[in-house]
Amino acid sequence: MSKITIPLGPQHPALKEPENFMLVLEGEQISGATVNLGYNHRGMEKAAEERTYIQNLYLIERVCGICSHSHTTCYITNVEEIAKAETPKRALAIRALFGELERVHSHLLWLGVAAYEMGFETLFMYTWRDREQVLDCLEMLSGNRVHYSINTIGGVRRDISAEQKAEVLKRIAYLEERTKYYVKIGTEESTILARTQNVGKLPYDVAIQRGAVGPTARASGVARDVRKDEPYLIYNELDFKVITHDTCDVFGRLVVRVLELVESYKMIKQILNGLPEGPIAVKVPMRLPAGEAVNHYEAPRGEDIHYLKANGTDKPDRVKVRAPTMANLQSVAYMMEGGWLADAPLVIAAIDPCMSCTDRAAVWDPKKGKTTVYGWEELRKMGIEHYKRRGVDFSRL
Amino acid sequence: MSEFEKEEKIKGALEAQFPGVVSNAAVQRKNRVWLDCAADKLPAVLDWMRGQGFDHLATVTGFDEGENLGAAYHMTDTHMIVTVKARTPRANPSLPSVLSIFPGALSYERELEDMFGIKVQGLPPGRRYPLDDDFPKDQYPLRKDWKFVPPADEVEAK
Repeated sequence: MSKITIPLGPQHPALKEPENFMLVLEGEQISGATVNLGYNHRGMEKAAEERTYIQNLYLIERVCGICSHSHTTCYITNVEEIAKAETPKRALAIRALFGELERVHSHLLWLGVAAYEMGFETLFMYTWRDREQVLDCLEMLSGNRVHYSINTIGGVRRDISAEQKAEVLKRIAYLEERTKYYVKIGTEESTILARTQNVGKLPYDVAIQRGAVGPTARASGVARDVRKDEPYLIYNELDFKVITHDTCDVFGRLVVRVLELVESYKMIKQILNGLPEGPIAVKVPMRLPAGEAVNHYEAPRGEDIHYLKANGTDKPDRVKVRAPTMANLQSVAYMMEGGWLADAPLVIAAIDPCMSCTDRAAVWDPKKGKTTVYGWEELRKMGIEHYKRRGVDFSRL
Repeated sequence: MSEFEKEEKIKGALEAQFPGVVSNAAVQRKNRVWLDCAADKLPAVLDWMRGQGFDHLATVTGFDEGENLGAAYHMTDTHMIVTVKARTPRANPSLPSVLSIFPGALSYERELEDMFGIKVQGLPPGRRYPLDDDFPKDQYPLRKDWKFVPPADEVEAK
């Protein structure tokens, strides 16, 4: 059978970070895949060198629309380390609270996206409805739903009142109840199992070799979590488990994320119930002494690492950001090889790319010299039909 | 010494294993070790470190120090971060590839070529990253002497 190479991506008008996959097909099976990035390089690292530390906080927040708190917390940890600032305990606890709320919102969003790519639209509607609860919490606490801007150099910008605490706990109780249902449906529903088990395999040693991080690595049995391995903020005082799974497939990634939701609820309750008293911020000078720092942070998608070099002025000499999706993309190429074209959308979605943005796929037949263009939507439909013919049907649920 | 036993141990082991290659090794604080490394021995040092449990190359940070360009390799065993810095003269910047040890480093190395103009020896051919296909090939935006020049037909927003 002749091989066909198809480009998947890179443009989607609605999403922010495009990527492109070149898939080599033999029939309906993928025999090779390469990842191409850089369609949305925004020059942020250069821009950061021309802005002050406090201005950069707002720039760095916009690295990502979902992990906005992860990036600022990682950046600010570097700034405070170089400035030798004594950030108050209460501020660290509030940062951790936002970190976990962000994880809940991100994992619920992922669950919805994964369900949608499978064709299980009811689950998609459910999870996104429930996600509004946590977005409401974030809005109530910070004033914003996406870019919370809660961090400031030396602490946080807003305190948490007793009423807000009660309101957050109320919503978390509701989400805990709902998540029990998601755990049940995610691990027992036979149609979900049929779509996710043995799909997008990433063995343990390949995950390590390719530098996979976060839930993608943990679903391959790699027990790595920065929160446990090098506790930052107040994570050394919180009681939680690192969730791993050993099936190394999309199913494992689903289980890890759903069970991490449960751990996050536990942590949110612990933080709110044991919120230390005291100020929420200290003053930090505008100019930082010369020095450098590197810190990592467990973002919802995995390890986020930032490097910062200060040169004695009020602007950094060098800022380096490496987001988790970047580390995971080399693994995606591996996961797709040997799989069905019909599984490509789900496998790509399963690392929770911060740029699930592959909109169109042009299928080019070198023999006929003919190009057929598939939209992401058509490809998704093709995947659903592909499984329907094999008896996996969500429409009867 | 006792406070940073783990850190001092890896620092000492590196200095003993690679005399003359590793220099300026320092323990910055708990879980942070920094060191300089001769550029040509970089793959050997990273390979040895991987054998010591530092099997995750978190990222590579390029830097411009004027006379020298360079790259900092942030290696971690997830607990500790050891940053290995390799420098190369600005006149003819070149570093060996570490892809044979860390296949996941592909995009980090392409970034060094694109943003700093450091030639990475042993990098397979492929599409550039992260700059656009039509970005001038001889301009390296993250070098300190590179300044953004707005296009002549740019209209200022009022």
